Amino acid sequence: MKIGVMSFAHTHAVGYTTLLKGMGVEVLTCDPDRDSSVEGEVRGAEMAAQLGVDHVDTYEELFAWGPDAVVICSENTRHRRDTELAASHGVHVLCEKPLATTVADAEAMIEACEQAGVLLMTAFPVHFSPQAAQAKAAVESGQVGELMAALGTNNGYCPVGVRAWFLDPQWSGGGCLVDHTVHVAELLHHITGARPVVVNAVKNQIMHAELPGVMAETGGLVTITYDNGFKASIDCSWSVPQHAPTWGGLTLELVGRTGVVEVDAFATRVGGWDSRHNGRDFWLPFGTDMDAELLRTFVGAVEGRLAGGNDPAPAPDGNVGLLTTAIVQAARESAETGQPVEVSLPG
Amino acid sequence: MTLRVGVVGAGGISPTHGGGWQALGAEIGVYSLEHAPRFAERHGATEYASLEELLGNVDIVDVITPTPAHVEIAKAALAAGKDVVCEKPMARNLADARELVALAEQHGRKLYPAHVVRWFPQYAAAKAAVEAGELGQLAVMRFNRAGQMPRTPWFFDDEASGGIIMDQMLHDLDQAVWIGGPVATVYATETRGEPGAEGGLGDTRVGLVTMTHRNGAISLCRGIWGAPGLPFWYSFQVAGTTGLLRYDSRHETGFQLTRASSAAEDDGSYLPSVTSFDPYAAEIADFAAAFAGGPEPRVTMHDGVEAVKIAEAALESLRTGRTVTVEEN
Repeated sequence: MKIGVMSFAHTHAVGYTTLLKGMGVEVLTCDPDRDSSVEGEVRGAEMAAQLGVDHVDTYEELFAWGPDAVVICSENTRHRRDTELAASHGVHVLCEKPLATTVADAEAMIEACEQAGVLLMTAFPVHFSPQAAQAKAAVESGQVGELMAALGTNNGYCPVGVRAWFLDPQWSGGGCLVDHTVHVAELLHHITGARPVVVNAVKNQIMHAELPGVMAETGGLVTITYDNGFKASIDCSWSVPQHAPTWGGLTLELVGRTGVVEVDAFATRVGGWDSRHNGRDFWLPFGTDMDAELLRTFVGAVEGRLAGGNDPAPAPDGNVGLLTTAIVQAARESAETGQPVEVSLPG
Repeated sequence: MTLRVGVVGAGGISPTHGGGWQALGAEIGVYSLEHAPRFAERHGATEYASLEELLGNVDIVDVITPTPAHVEIAKAALAAGKDVVCEKPMARNLADARELVALAEQHGRKLYPAHVVRWFPQYAAAKAAVEAGELGQLAVMRFNRAGQMPRTPWFFDDEASGGIIMDQMLHDLDQAVWIGGPVATVYATETRGEPGAEGGLGDTRVGLVTMTHRNGAISLCRGIWGAPGLPFWYSFQVAGTTGLLRYDSRHETGFQLTRASSAAEDDGSYLPSVTSFDPYAAEIADFAAAFAGGPEPRVTMHDGVEAVKIAEAALESLRTGRTVTVEEN
């Protein structure tokens, strides 16, 4: 199997490339657009050399190589362009989250992949969290009764110093509302299947505001009302201090009539104190490699298509990418207007 | 001089107040429509047959009745020249809360709402750290409170109690203000379980309240009135520009019992377990000291008004589905 990695803009490209190689996939990378990067960001052929993979300078060359699929790791606002390009070459797509920054873009991407008959998946690794699977099973077996509400958190470091574009809405579509709301929203969809109806959001730009290049919100709280009356709040803030022992994490508390189930998707770790860093915690994570599960699922689906099958894209697919994009679009509007916003979703 | 306190009401919250006054060696009187003999026996209190009789024999009145009765009793006590402690919410609506404050000022008496969470050492520690600037500028806060639903019906009468937002979540609305400063806007949603569903399971409720603060911080409060037997717990996370604090009452308690059976035991309480600290006694000791001319406690009657104001805004948001602007003081 041949998979192209489109862009090193999103740092997940590094992990995906390494994992794909480890799975025996032929990988070709291509990082032609550097206009979103600032000095000091390792990109292009230099990054490819560090990863020990081949690199070409243009997408023409990438598609001339004849990939079966691509993993798109470009800036959020380029996802549509790159997905449409891949679809036009009849190439299956795994697109980094958020699928798009507008509902219109997400719909166009789904349409393009449908027309081309190619798979479209959205890269939501936490979908593969074994703790999330336990929570889904607990809910489905009635252990907490009918679901009433949820509180999810996806707090993390401010991505400053990693890739400047995360903090520039021109490329990212927004700050933490865009970056961190979607993971929890995807899990909620995975577990409940409910459709979002109304979204309210508040935001601020207090944390990390002193850092250079911060042009978007760093704090955000989103509340979603679903069609079945279920409610969920998501803290999507980049509130983990820069010197914390780990990047952040994701939690989800599901409140049912008879009980509460809680997921901490990054809880499995060995802890302790590290005297080299003023006694801060050791944080040695272990457990399921969710990125690897995501890629195995995508590669498996592509293999199925190459073998002549016609199964639809497995979850997390383009539709949940659209649904979570719609939540974020409403959240951004609500945070601007100060009032709840109806979710714009087709059908 | 002996503290002479008259407790009005003798329901679920009464052991915490009774114990607090007892610990101070107070002479306790009680007047209550229900459970007065039980309270009198438990706390060595003298039972009075009427509010008037009680008021004639005490210097301090502690109002721990259901919410709808707070205002009339507190008014009578203030008018009779008594200092008053009043369970939260100080009143069911803002107008009544303000009237109480005006009356206290008019009579020169002290009035304190029992926002006991301010005396929980975890919250006090967070407040102190924030005040000392250890988190830098505050940005995002979350406050969670969960437990089984109350057992007495008036809690589920929205007119009477204001529901989970005005009752249970008032504690965390108050924490958000205490730690995070005055509130500018409030958005609230709530889910209610059908009382008849799932084998007659009661009216379980979950509330979610989002607020913006005048200093730019944002906060989220989540409250659960869960099924009978759900343990009580509370947690918070407070993040600022230079650090983040978090606490969960289920962790780091210093005690863990691991048994072959996982069956949860219901102690029948909808109050938190307090073993290594007693915030109720500490609160009442501070109130008593203030009544005796000591320093102002960490809550004022104006804080009582503020909390009711925010809860009332949250209820309006619930009704209208809109974000509600909170008037500035």
